Amino acid sequence: MVADATELLELLDASPESVMEFFDDRGWGDGLPLVPPTAERVDAMLEACAGEDPDEVLAVLAPRFGECTRRMVAINAVLAGCRPDVMPVLVTSARALGRPELNLRGVNATTHPVAPLLIVHGAIAEQAAFNSGLGAFGPGNRANATTGRALRLVLLHVAGARPGPGDASTQGQPSKYSYCVAENLAASPWESYPRSLGIESASAITLHCGENPHNFHDMDTDRPGPILDKAASVMATLGANNAPIGQGEYFIGLGPEHAATIASHHWTRRDIQSYLYERARLPARLYRTQFSSLAWFPWMHEVPDDHLMPATGHPDNIKVFVVGGAGKHSCVIPSWGMTKSVTLAVEP
Amino acid sequence: MSIHIYAPDGAVGAPPVQLAPARPVLRGLRIGVLDNAKPNARLLMVRAAEQVAARTGAVLALVTDKGPGGNAATPCTPEVFDRLVREVDLVFTGSAD
Repeated sequence: MVADATELLELLDASPESVMEFFDDRGWGDGLPLVPPTAERVDAMLEACAGEDPDEVLAVLAPRFGECTRRMVAINAVLAGCRPDVMPVLVTSARALGRPELNLRGVNATTHPVAPLLIVHGAIAEQAAFNSGLGAFGPGNRANATTGRALRLVLLHVAGARPGPGDASTQGQPSKYSYCVAENLAASPWESYPRSLGIESASAITLHCGENPHNFHDMDTDRPGPILDKAASVMATLGANNAPIGQGEYFIGLGPEHAATIASHHWTRRDIQSYLYERARLPARLYRTQFSSLAWFPWMHEVPDDHLMPATGHPDNIKVFVVGGAGKHSCVIPSWGMTKSVTLAVEP
Repeated sequence: MSIHIYAPDGAVGAPPVQLAPARPVLRGLRIGVLDNAKPNARLLMVRAAEQVAARTGAVLALVTDKGPGGNAATPCTPEVFDRLVREVDLVFTGSAD
């Protein structure tokens, strides 16, 4: 169903049950309770983007080719239960969804369970009270939960990524409901992730289209190697969609304690990337026997069978950020493979 | 009490490309197969194209992959696209998992 973005629909009964039925009947929503997007609530959301055109097309989102405007972002932010202060994060995320290297059409067409992970960086993470610390990937924080959910609702409604006609994922994954964290810059021994890419903005976002986090833990060592060897073993698995793909990205979400241990040995972010590039490997023969089709770089096809093939074709495909709280846990988030993460300075 | 709300989906923009209209008669036309690199895609589509050609009087004229770095999730290279435009009248592609 396509409705005029400015058309107001009448609900005769505003009870929560009736609102859910209304949306469900039209194939809208994510199956959870929704906040009705009344004109008053949407206008209040748009106040966070005052002075900007609410109907500017930020991106055209596949496969529906829906025009994503600030107004559409605001409507879905209301539905998700967002506070207005996260609007700049969502508007910038909408722009990122439209970037060609992210390959949203492929993200929604694949049978892989991929979901865009939204990472919030810098001042806006603090101002809007995103959780970068203990349990950041889990429940209990409104900004994380509702912002991730709003992005998914934009995908469902504007992009048309409904399971079946618009999202071919065989099994889906829980992060298709909401997938948003903040970088724990206060606990990071390194510069912010966007700054490491040359983005000198006070606030930024990253979208990384990937799998759910794959946990790894190390409670025993005080050296970088054993910690990162466990990350490497998680990366170099044949089951990950990245396995037969040379350009696949891996986000490494280091818990602050692992990050501190690694940094105490004067390791930089680049040292971690180089180490994991060298250690996350399997024999080329294994890839060749397991996969009939290998989307490798040309040089990867030339190495002999006994060569230890890196899980990804370049150290730059290994992305490192700090997230989480106390404890000896970290995670690897493999990408879907045929996508590149996008990091943008936050704009209203 | 009734309330008024916005629809959450909004307007649909123009698709970036339009599919060419289907050809009503295949006799004498040249069929191309664009292998998207999914497992067994080439086998499946070539067999299908051969059978269509045999039944309709069309000809299987070209079988190609998408070019360097091409895969199921990316477009073919401009060179491959141009060759398809020049050398065939219809294309089989898009085998999934």
